[in-house]
This record gives sequence, structure tokens and C-alpha cells, in this order.
Amino acid sequence: MLKNIAKIGFVEGLIVTIKATFRKPVTAEYPNPDKRQAVADRYMGFPALMWDMNIQEPYCTGCMVCVRNCPTQCMTAEMKDNPYYSDGISGRRKIIDKFEINLGRCILCGICVDVCNFDAIEMSHEHELSKYQRDGNRADLNKLLDMGKEYQFKLNWIPKQPEKNSGTPKIKTKKTEVNKASVFPILIDVKKGNSDVKMEKPTK
Amino acid sequence: MTLIEVLKYLSLAGGLFFLLTMVAAYLTLMERKVLARIQQRMGPTYVGFKGILQPLADAIKLITKEDLLPSWADRSIYWLAPIAVLVPAVLMWVTIPVTGELVLSNFDMGLLYITAISVLSVMGLVMAGWGSANKWAVMGGLRAAGQLVSYEIPFIMSILAIAMLAQSLNLREIVFQQNHFAFILKQPLAFFIFFTAGLAELGRIPFDIHHAESEVVGGPFVEYSGAHWAVFYLAEYMNTFTVAVLTTLLFLGGWIWPTMPFDGTLHNLLSLILFMFKTILVIYLIFWIRGTFPRLRIDQLMAFGWKILVPLSFINILITSSILFFADRNPAFSPISHWIMSLTSLMLLVFTVYLIKYRANANGDVDSVRLVSASEIRQNILKKNEVTH
Repeated sequence: MLKNIAKIGFVEGLIVTIKATFRKPVTAEYPNPDKRQAVADRYMGFPALMWDMNIQEPYCTGCMVCVRNCPTQCMTAEMKDNPYYSDGISGRRKIIDKFEINLGRCILCGICVDVCNFDAIEMSHEHELSKYQRDGNRADLNKLLDMGKEYQFKLNWIPKQPEKNSGTPKIKTKKTEVNKASVFPILIDVKKGNSDVKMEKPTK
Repeated sequence: MTLIEVLKYLSLAGGLFFLLTMVAAYLTLMERKVLARIQQRMGPTYVGFKGILQPLADAIKLITKEDLLPSWADRSIYWLAPIAVLVPAVLMWVTIPVTGELVLSNFDMGLLYITAISVLSVMGLVMAGWGSANKWAVMGGLRAAGQLVSYEIPFIMSILAIAMLAQSLNLREIVFQQNHFAFILKQPLAFFIFFTAGLAELGRIPFDIHHAESEVVGGPFVEYSGAHWAVFYLAEYMNTFTVAVLTTLLFLGGWIWPTMPFDGTLHNLLSLILFMFKTILVIYLIFWIRGTFPRLRIDQLMAFGWKILVPLSFINILITSSILFFADRNPAFSPISHWIMSLTSLMLLVFTVYLIKYRANANGDVDSVRLVSASEIRQNILKKNEVTH
């Protein structure tokens, strides 16, 4: 009986709407910082510079490879000699001095991240362009580092090549001169991986 | 009439108008909230606590907005139309009782007065349509006239059944007659007809063809803006409130059913709360229906009015009056007459639902559009071929 009543067209419609009434609203009240929807972890926002927590300096060495590869020329960079290097704290000889990205011009392509050899730049979760100043979207080095730090803390970020890009100074060991003459007799021992010697491939 | 009396009446009128305006304003907020929840949104949240001051913000916005006058408009009619819509909406409240004592003027012919006044607002809509010198507005105004005139008949006929049951046209008296059973239990069909026809008179979805946005771009209100548009809106929501209150008074037992405990002031207060609760439920039902149904086409609307509601309301009156007549003649019949009345009314209601579901477009080939699947057409052609061979 009840099922048959519920099948009548207009009653069915009323049931659908009353069910929807008691569901939770899906609205995210956007400008309110507590109530907006979170972005996904792999979200690609604006590029930001990463901070090396071990030495307290940026990963970026100012090599300009991102600047040269940027399709919209939205960034500029300058490098300087790293004072920490001469002090022996850091392993980076050069460090970034000035860096600026015009976020209004950035097209979020991610090429700068792909070309970076030092894991210094990442697409952060920052994505908002509305500012009160006309040049509000020009992010300088500090702003970019702040964005980067926020991103790092949020995701527990680690560099893609941790060994290569760790800034801790390498203990320099003098390369011992290899006496080629002494090496020659052990030519057959390939497993030691002496790169100076090439082996011919054994033919069938 | 002394000065004090004049002042008394003026203050009463002003108070009534202010109260109705506030109620209408907050009905807009309630409608927006209810519709939003039906669509899983939140509705207004920013002005005040959870959007509680939104109607005031809307009012300020509308009053400070520029009032435009189309260059070809018929000026006097154009400016008078909002008043012609608003005045009947307020006038109806002269005789509507809220509790046993709270009524401005207790007419003996209250129901007649209300039905007479409620038709007047059509005049304002037609005036608005004519005065705007806009084809959409004229069309909307004429649609409003046609719709309201055709739905006035079932509206009044269902009220008549109630008046027969209560043996009175006085609204207070009608409410006092319901202290044992609300009339919705005796007359479910009349309730259905009254509510449906009332929705159509209000011009709310699904009967809002006179200001259908997709057809006549807002109907009579196309050219209006600012405060005058606000007055139309105000009148519309006042009428919504009036119909909800009338439904409560005539069918749901007003403040008297079920009877509240205690005596004196507490009793009156509880009765008032009961009355308001019922009214809010009816208003919620109106908004719920608005959030559910699509708009009817004009031929469907007229067919529903003239082919279903009008005959049913006449049948309802015939049955009710004959049962009352027999109950009056032989007293042995009178105790069960109520049961017979509610049973027949209920059966007629089921019949109405059946009509709406299966027979609404019985001769649909002539006056309505019907979607037909390709396979159906193919089968029809095959059948035809079989017959001819």
C-alpha cells in the first residue's frame, strides 16, 4: 500500500526532495579560510622554492635553467657566492640571491620543476591570484620560500634526489693516482668496474 | 469619531501593516533557506547570524535602487498597479483571527469578505501588464486573469463545503466548530482542492505561468524595479501567508484543535504557538512543493482547473450537502454521518489522484505534446500493416 502511494508521480517527487533536505549541504563557503575545500596532495599550484632544513638555506643555486626554460618568461633569478660555503657549513658553492616570479603570468606548466637539477623548485598548493595591490602577484624570494616552506611542512616533502642534492659539505678525499700499468694485468676482472678499461663483448 | 479613536485605528492599521511586512520579509528568507536545503545548498549565511538579517539587506537594496519608468508606459496605471495589488493583500487581514481574541474586526460574513477581496489583486496584475506597455507584461497579466478566474471557482466551492459544515461564515465560529475534529478529517478532498486552488491563486510554482521566466520573462513585473517591484513581491508573500493561515483556520483546526491544557494566559499563549506552528507547516509545504515540481503548461493548467478541480468541487458540495440534509432529518443517522462524510471524501480524493496520474491527458493527442519512442511508432506501423493485409 505505502509503496504504491510512493510510486504516484508527484508523491515520489516530494519524497525525493524531502530526502535531499536532510542531507548535508555540499557548499564550501569559499573565502572563509576554515570552510574552503582542501586541494589534493598532487595539486599543482604556483611554483615555490624549497628550503633545505639541514643547513637553513634554499636548495636553489640560481643556475637559471628554469628561467631559460620558462615558456612565458615569468621568472628572473640572480646568483651569488654562498657565504656558508666558505665557512664550510654548506656544500653549495653558489646560492640564489634574487628570485622573482610574476604569478599572474605563470601558466602552471611545471616545466621549471622538470628541468631543475637541484630539486629547488616545486609546484606548491598556492593558487589564489586576487590581491589588493597591482603588483601583488610578483612573488620575491622570501615570498616564494614561505610558500615553499608551507608546502614542505604540509606534505613532509623530501627531495627527489636526496643524496645528490643534500647540501652537507662533502668530505674531500684526494683521488689516488691509479697506476695504469699496474691495473693492466687485472683487466680481465671486470666486476671491479674499472671504467677506464673497456671490454669487448664476447662473440658467440 | 473622536481624535483618540482615529489615532487608535491608525495605530492598529500601521501595526498590522508593519507586522505583515516583517512576516513577508522573513518568508522570503525562509523560502530561500528551504529551497537551498532541498538543493543541498546553504542559502543566505553572511548578513547577520546565519543570514538572519538578509531580508533587511534586500529591502535596503531594493528601496535605494532606481525606479525606472518605460517611456511608453501609461503612467498613472503603471504607478497605481503595485498599490492595487498590495491593498487587497492587507485588507484581507481585517477579519482574520489569530486567536480567540486577537482579531481586528470580527465580521459575521468574514469568509465572503475574504473571497471577495482576494479576487481584487488580479486587477492590479492586469493593470501592471497594461501599464508597462510591454508585450510580455500584457501576456502575463492576461494569463494571471485567466488563471485566477478559473481557479477562483474550486477555491470558493471548497470553502462553501466548510461553511456548510460549520453553519457559519464567521471565521472565529468556524474554528470553534472544530474543537472535536479538524475539518481536514471530515473533508480531505475539500482540503486538497482548497490548497491546490490556493496555490494557483497565489501564482506559485507549479502554477506560476503568469510570471513564467522562460515564457513571459517575469510577466507583469518585467518593467518594474526597485521599491515598486518590492511592493509586488511583498504582496505575493503576504498572500502566501494569508493562504497558509486560512488553510490552518478552515481545515487544521486553527488554535483550538487539539485543545491545549491549562487556563488563562498560558492557555492562550500555547494556543497561539500551536496556531503558528501549523501555519509554518503549511508554508513549508508550499515551499516544498515549489522546490519539487516543474511549471505546468497553460493548457495543462486550464485542463487541471476546469476538468478536474471544478467538477470535483461540485461533487463534493453535492455529497456534503446531502449527507448533512439526511443527518438533519433523521437523528439516528447523525452520529455516523461524519464517518460517511470523511470516507466518501477520502474515496473522492483517491479518485482525484487516479485522475491526475492516469487520466490527466486522456485526450492528450489533441491538446498536448507527448513524447513517443521510436520503437512505439515502429510497432504502431507494423500493427497498421497487419490490419490492412
